[in-house]
Amino acid sequence: MEGGGESDFEREEDDAATELLRDRFRLSTISIAEAQAKRNNMEISQPIMACISELAFKFTEQLAKDLELFAQHGGRKSVNMEDVILSAHRNEHLAASLRSFCNELKVKEPQTERKRKKTSRKEDKATTSVLHIS
Amino acid sequence: MENTFDSDLIHAIFKLVWSRRALEREKNEGTMNLDCEVFGLRLSFRLVQVKAGTSKKNRPTTANANALKLSCELLRVFVTEAVQRAATIAEAEGTSKIEATHLERILPQLLLDF
Repeated sequence: MEGGGESDFEREEDDAATELLRDRFRLSTISIAEAQAKRNNMEISQPIMACISELAFKFTEQLAKDLELFAQHGGRKSVNMEDVILSAHRNEHLAASLRSFCNELKVKEPQTERKRKKTSRKEDKATTSVLHIS
Repeated sequence: MENTFDSDLIHAIFKLVWSRRALEREKNEGTMNLDCEVFGLRLSFRLVQVKAGTSKKNRPTTANANALKLSCELLRVFVTEAVQRAATIAEAEGTSKIEATHLERILPQLLLDF
């Protein structure tokens, strides 16, 4: 039973952490949404802002689950860019936009030799071959 | 591009979800020892559980830095799309404030697209 009490305590701490993250996340969402609305000369009512940030938070949690499952399916413990692109595979435009962002990131930060050997050679090959096809 | 999510924040949320799931998995494995009434057997199941907890299988997932940046971009696109589509509807209705009805109109397609 002592184990049960301990996990209750953990759960409480977990909730507090979730709330804090949720608030930080809400602030980021609001600034992004407001910037986008301003571009359209629009205002957003506050409850809608809260809705959008709650929606985006749920989406993030779902994304985390998806990415974990994708990585596990690939026999990895670490999520990579291919997993993120895979999570958007139902929407071709979105996947293509993520793919180009991914290539931009690669160009911007040429990885160190050590890392390159370890992780990205396979990744590089995969993305370039896909690009050739499309 | 100027306005996006913080990688650290998204990483923290991901880690929270992953550790929660790892805990749940452990708990599911742990339910075995509740079915067992003999003290000695329960002890042995406990040992199995502890072993499983430290084994590779239950170590929480991690993410690399670029994958996090890409996730931030995905989330940014999600939020901007929500606002953009709602703004289009609001504009068509001739108002300059995005209200609940506008979000309601675009929500089904938005969720299908992401």
